[in-house]
Amino acid sequence: MAHSDIGSQLVNICSMLLLVTTFAIVSQRRLSACVDLFALQSVFLAVTAALVAFLTGIHHIYVAALLTIVIKAIIIPLILKRVIERLNVTRELVLNINIPASLLICGGLVILALSVTQPIKELGFLLTKDSLAISLAIILIGFFTMISRRKAVTQVVGFLVVENGIFLGATAAAYGMPLIVELGVFFDVLVAALIIGIFTHRLQDTFDSVDVSKLTGMKE
Amino acid sequence: MSVALLILIFTPLMAGLLSLVMRNQRALERLQCLLAVVLWGAMTLVVSRVASGSYFSTGFLLRVDPLSAFMDLMLAFVGGTGLLYAVGYMGEKLIRGEMTLKHYGRFFFFFNFFLFAMLLTVNLDNIALMWISLESSTLAAALLVGFERTKSALEAGWKYVILSFIGIALSLFGTVLMYYASERVLGIGMEALSLEALYRVASLLNPAALKLAFIFALIGYGTKAGVVPMHTWLPDAHAEAPTPVSAILSGLMLNVGLYALLRFKSITDQALGESFAGPLVLGFGFLSLTVAAFFMLIQKDYKRLLAYSSIEHVGIAMIGFGVGGPLGVFGGFFHMIHHALVKSTAFYAAGGVLLRSGHKGIERVTGMLKRFPIAGIGLFLAAIGLAGMPPAGLFVSELLIATSSYRGNPVLTYLFLSLLILTFGALMYHIPRMVLGNTTEKDMPMSDRTRYFMTAAILINLAAMVYGGFYLPRFLQALTVPMTGIFGARIEFR
Repeated sequence: MAHSDIGSQLVNICSMLLLVTTFAIVSQRRLSACVDLFALQSVFLAVTAALVAFLTGIHHIYVAALLTIVIKAIIIPLILKRVIERLNVTRELVLNINIPASLLICGGLVILALSVTQPIKELGFLLTKDSLAISLAIILIGFFTMISRRKAVTQVVGFLVVENGIFLGATAAAYGMPLIVELGVFFDVLVAALIIGIFTHRLQDTFDSVDVSKLTGMKE
Repeated sequence: MSVALLILIFTPLMAGLLSLVMRNQRALERLQCLLAVVLWGAMTLVVSRVASGSYFSTGFLLRVDPLSAFMDLMLAFVGGTGLLYAVGYMGEKLIRGEMTLKHYGRFFFFFNFFLFAMLLTVNLDNIALMWISLESSTLAAALLVGFERTKSALEAGWKYVILSFIGIALSLFGTVLMYYASERVLGIGMEALSLEALYRVASLLNPAALKLAFIFALIGYGTKAGVVPMHTWLPDAHAEAPTPVSAILSGLMLNVGLYALLRFKSITDQALGESFAGPLVLGFGFLSLTVAAFFMLIQKDYKRLLAYSSIEHVGIAMIGFGVGGPLGVFGGFFHMIHHALVKSTAFYAAGGVLLRSGHKGIERVTGMLKRFPIAGIGLFLAAIGLAGMPPAGLFVSELLIATSSYRGNPVLTYLFLSLLILTFGALMYHIPRMVLGNTTEKDMPMSDRTRYFMTAAILINLAAMVYGGFYLPRFLQALTVPMTGIFGARIEFR
């Protein structure tokens, strides 16, 4: 570690916990466990944000942390749980890529994220210098989840993980976007989750399945 | 004066909310026509003001510079005819009993909200708020794509939701990175996200962070613009959405995605010169053109054919911006606005064909000129325009782009022209067969009111297309000079 300041160590630990939960989501087949892990990840995100707010004295980040808890750790998981119950799917049975291989690929993505952000790391604030790489790693793994899974619900979790990664990047690397921006982003994520809920509902009604691999009517 | 701007942006929102509660078909339709007229009026005021050289802002959030005014012109004009057309097309569905009055009102709510979000996007000065607004337009568009609730519409809607969320997330990260670079210079706060401030301090921004930000924005907003290889949502969404929505998606949404991308490119260009972003944009442009040209040849569904043609034209505009220089950039902008006009006309006409024949198969449709003359004429003229022939302005812009690329690298020009010939062939092979000849198919009945609305929308668009193909109006000249200026390439008219 380049700096031994306790504050930045704490921020780093929290960011790492976010990354660890991301890996846990990748290795999990049960849909409801994926949602729980996402909720846990959002809690870690809120803690990171609160830490940054405390250490820097920028108060509006507290608001963002509170919103993270309410929207991402409570409301969205509730919506997803309800979708899972109604759809009567509990497990991801067929994976496009099996779990050990997925984990290896995700390890590779972390290395990629570290090397990509290397040149701009020095721009960052001392407190949170290493978080940008972690946030990019989480974003890439989130995308990977969206691509490698077949159930609509897991794809949604992947998308939300990506959002968390971006939010970590914004909070840690840039001490948060201005408040009005963060409010807007939260609002959009919430509406997005609702719309996805509507869509999975309609897909279930029409296709009798939320297996996205059955959506092949328009292949070329 | 900024009142005109506020009217332009917020009337669609008001009209949308009103349509949600209205339960009277006639009143609802009058409201939409009124909205179209208000849009045109407010747009005229805004554009003429900016063209006369005075940019204006209302506080720190909204700001109209020539590029925004140019987008306002495009969005309000085509949005207006789109509203007239939607009244005709969706009204016919209502009359046929394919939807209820409640759904009719809801359709216009989403449709108006979609227009509002796009108009807001292009007039915001703040790149993060621009992102939020663009994301809202995506959400409205996703619901519109899946509006008809058939199996394929839902499939297309789902694909659109997932892919555009990936794109939009990437562009948000690009925006965060831009903020990361700019707050070193401008300090923490809203100013570090303001376009005006970013242009002012572009040369002081950290080049490495700027490059990374641009790459994320290119892929993210490129997804919204339908750039290959992130285009896979586009043909499905355009084919399955109700036709007025296809027209707006293709004519306007893609251009708004491109607009956001160009904002990032202009900042990058001012900081690093054209040599970094140019080749990237050029490469994606060529990839889009190539893939679209080949897929156009094998299409069996005319709405999909037009969808692939949209990918092609976004590709061409990107080639213009990628090649750069005054001619290239001007050609790109000219291409954007004319594509918006011509492609929306093509979809309006294709919607007429769909209502008349009841299916989307190219092979089975013939004799449209006799069966529904205005759709036949519209489709034929639009196809000629899309193929790059006069009187459409696309002829001019393709010529300009080819010329400017010749100065850089002649090989590119040969490649560009051969691909254009391919798309020309595809359009001229498919479309005339649909328009000319006789048919044994049975026509679906169609009410007179639908015919009037469709005719109005198609004729207004065709008139603008022909006028714009021959003349470059003075206000457009006045806008273009500073617009090309922000890419470091100043065009001059003599």
